[in-house]
Amino acid sequence: MFGMPSEMGPTGLDPSMGLLAGYLLGVLGGLNLLALGLGFITLPVFFILLYAVEQVSLAISNATGWFPAKLVLYMFRGLRRSPLRTSLTYIALFVLTLVLSMIYSVLVFIGRVTTEKEADFKAITTHKTIIPSQMPRAHYEQFKRELAKLPDGMRPKNGEADLMAWSFFLGTTDPISKRPDSNVFAFCIEPRKILTMMDGLDDLTGKEKADLDAAVAEMERDKQAIVMSKMRMKKMNLQVGQTIKVTGLNYTDLVFDLRIIGELPDGKYDNISFINSAYLFSQLDAWKLNNPKNRTSEPHPMDAKCINLIWVRLPNKEAFERLAAAVNDTGNFSNPQIKLETASSGFGTFLEAFKDILFGMKYLMAPAMVAIMCLVIANAISIGVRERRTEMAVLKVLGFQPRHVLFLVVGEAVLVGLMAGFMSTLIAFKMIGNLKLQIAFFGAFFVPGEVLLYGPMLGAFVAVAGSIAPALNAKNVKVAEVFSKVA
Amino acid sequence: MARALVQVRDLVKSFTRGTERIDVLQKLTLDVGQAEFLALMGPSGSGKTTLLNLIAGLDQPTSGKISVGENVISEMSESELARWRTRHVGFIFQFYYLLPVLTAYENVELPLLLLALTKEQRRKQVTTALDLVGLADRMDHRPGQLSGGQQQRVGIARAMVTDPELIVADEPTGDLDTKSADEILKLMEILRAQLGKTIIMVTHDPKAASRAQRILHLEKGQLVLDTAAGV
Repeated sequence: MFGMPSEMGPTGLDPSMGLLAGYLLGVLGGLNLLALGLGFITLPVFFILLYAVEQVSLAISNATGWFPAKLVLYMFRGLRRSPLRTSLTYIALFVLTLVLSMIYSVLVFIGRVTTEKEADFKAITTHKTIIPSQMPRAHYEQFKRELAKLPDGMRPKNGEADLMAWSFFLGTTDPISKRPDSNVFAFCIEPRKILTMMDGLDDLTGKEKADLDAAVAEMERDKQAIVMSKMRMKKMNLQVGQTIKVTGLNYTDLVFDLRIIGELPDGKYDNISFINSAYLFSQLDAWKLNNPKNRTSEPHPMDAKCINLIWVRLPNKEAFERLAAAVNDTGNFSNPQIKLETASSGFGTFLEAFKDILFGMKYLMAPAMVAIMCLVIANAISIGVRERRTEMAVLKVLGFQPRHVLFLVVGEAVLVGLMAGFMSTLIAFKMIGNLKLQIAFFGAFFVPGEVLLYGPMLGAFVAVAGSIAPALNAKNVKVAEVFSKVA
Repeated sequence: MARALVQVRDLVKSFTRGTERIDVLQKLTLDVGQAEFLALMGPSGSGKTTLLNLIAGLDQPTSGKISVGENVISEMSESELARWRTRHVGFIFQFYYLLPVLTAYENVELPLLLLALTKEQRRKQVTTALDLVGLADRMDHRPGQLSGGQQQRVGIARAMVTDPELIVADEPTGDLDTKSADEILKLMEILRAQLGKTIIMVTHDPKAASRAQRILHLEKGQLVLDTAAGV
């Protein structure tokens, strides 16, 4: 993303386009199967829950004798009468609400990262035209000078702390047989910026903050220090205190001796490491001066390409516009030319490639799923109504009004919809949300809390939409016709 | 005959099948007295069940007038009829039609839910009804746990629990063995004799019909014979 070389990545996979496309389509397809499996697995829980709620309903109706409470009780009894049909209805609604909860979560996630902030927002500088973005170190220094030229009120509030450059580094501890699990992917960065500019690390508290503070101090003292994510260390069977020799893959011919001095908390930076950028630059300089293969003292091929991104936190839009004009000025940055975007605009530009997929998810797939599920529910409820036509007629004979019959039929579907929606979104929220899946470099994917409300509402809505036609059919059942056919 | 509870005048009921009009009941006139046990007999298609449905307010006539007590039910709307049925008519079906997911108690309680009664009043009426049919000890059983005869007794309890003046029964013994049928007919006689209920029963069974006070024979939608039972 934003110029990260396609061969780079924490696991050796394509980390940008391929990753996002994989998550949006592959995960979405797999999610249907997963939801189906989870629907089957949770069936016993559903029936236990159904029974438990029925007992509550029974207690209420016994205590109050209230007619609506009795009707609700009869709905629960009705659901238990045909376990197969109830199960299939539950699974259909479970799959629907789970998948749509995930689609909603993805859209919320994307909306969040592409929403423009008005003040104190981050902007990104990248190569103007080429992906992957690669710039020389001199650009970073020039960028600092341009920042300093901004008038008061437009310069970053925290000075240097609001500025950082990333150099992506991919190496391996096993240069002979390169494998994904021996790869080290790191951001080479000025250590202090980890505490001020990295989302999710700039707001740690308690022991995690104290540990990271200590690790940053150690990185500043020892430029060969590396901080790795817990997940990566576990995968590579490494521990804090160990030293590793990492051979560069994108920085060929460079070998890094690194000492693991700390670990990153679980979550957003799983599989990622931080190295002091000063070590990378010194390695590049050493290659130029000391490499025996390099008799003409040519710089390393990556020397003029070792800055991938420059981040800056700006106080307001005016500052952004002024700085963007300076960045666009070819007198300042000519080889290569670069551009400045807000972070959200940058994400938006990146997501532009996926706009058709996102459009399809939002306006085609989601409504199509709702429509299909309505038909599935309508079919299931219709069969139930047909089987219980005589029963509905008996209720009417006894004096039940057509609206009571309608309420009973729709109510049964709504109960299943609410419970399936609740269970699926609870699973989405608790299980899938906790997986902390990472979509490219947007950070850990999360399931927003509001799905716990929207899921059951969606389940209930689909249940009403699907059951209304058969319920109207049941409501309008002609008693005399039913009994004349029976007789 | 005692004062008429049910009055049927010039009753016509027609159905249309395709382009063909079928007159099921043709200008039928009938009175059924208070606390009378009437049996309706006749061959299949003679209009027995149609007549029963019309008297019970389950269907509306093509023309003619039906009165039950003070109410002219042939002029009522569907929802008025539903309300009227709850309070004034009890139904006994050949196949019982108990709701399988409800206990005997809950089945009998069903019509009472539509009336403005307290929980205690409902309990008292349900217990009394089940007591009368001899099933007070089975009130927590589901229909599937009861024999056919017991299910029909629950059906009778449900029919009388709202204390209606009219009870209609469509082949109430048609699905029962001789012994159970006899018990059900005895119960119906008790309902008439002791509780003063008017009972109209459709049956094919001459033995069952003989338990009624009066037997009406229908053929092709018309009354062809009106006899006292045993005649």
